[in-house]
Amino acid sequence: MVRLVSQQRIDAYAGASGDHNPIHVDPSFARATPFGGTIAHGMLVLALIGEMMRGAFGEAWSTSGKLKVRFKAPTRPGDTITASAVLSKESADDAEYAVQCVSQSGEILIEGRASVKAVS
Amino acid sequence: MTSTARTSISALSRGHEFPSVAFTVSEKVVRAYLDAVGDAHGYAETVPPLAAVALGLSAVQEQIALPEGSLHTGQEVEHHAPVRAGEALTLTGRIAQRSERQGFVVSVIELEIATVAGVAIRARSTIMAPGGAS
Repeated sequence: MVRLVSQQRIDAYAGASGDHNPIHVDPSFARATPFGGTIAHGMLVLALIGEMMRGAFGEAWSTSGKLKVRFKAPTRPGDTITASAVLSKESADDAEYAVQCVSQSGEILIEGRASVKAVS
Repeated sequence: MTSTARTSISALSRGHEFPSVAFTVSEKVVRAYLDAVGDAHGYAETVPPLAAVALGLSAVQEQIALPEGSLHTGQEVEHHAPVRAGEALTLTGRIAQRSERQGFVVSVIELEIATVAGVAIRARSTIMAPGGAS
């Protein structure tokens, strides 16, 4: 899955989630920080992994899915992110995937694992 | 959602419990969330689990102060049951872990979002905030 993260999307996410931290929504504030500009909410970028897993597993994701990730690098307005999942372990009970989001330059933004119970 | 006097997350000890919050996620909020993240799968009346977690985290953050330079560095989510739009929810939260590293306090906020039927979502958010003693 691929998605553009624009400042408009970040602003909309701040409104929807209630997280109005100025590092995300105030360009003049963010310019003075070590990031040099606004960055997307980690949870906004993570939503792409959630959407991907829900799209693949449907209701099973909402009833048994597990996700554990680290936010490795900031996502900036204008970045195009790609989410992926690669099967890493499978048993009769569940399947585990290595998941990540990378930027257009290949930088890893989010990395971790997701698991979901097998549908009987 | 209610808020209380704000204490810096760096000052909260392991085991600190946040006041529980009763809330609902309306269909309107779900649609705003889906539009914002660009999710076209159409959950309809179901709340995307990460939306519930994000709203829960925001509710907890209303009760604390995050020092400038704080970073959300990790996230865990366990899904147990779907959450329906408009359903009565209870959020409970606590500081599950706290450590100090190179001038930062690393706190893990553990959240539980429950419906009347029981726990629907468990989440752990790792926050690094300036303010450590070292």
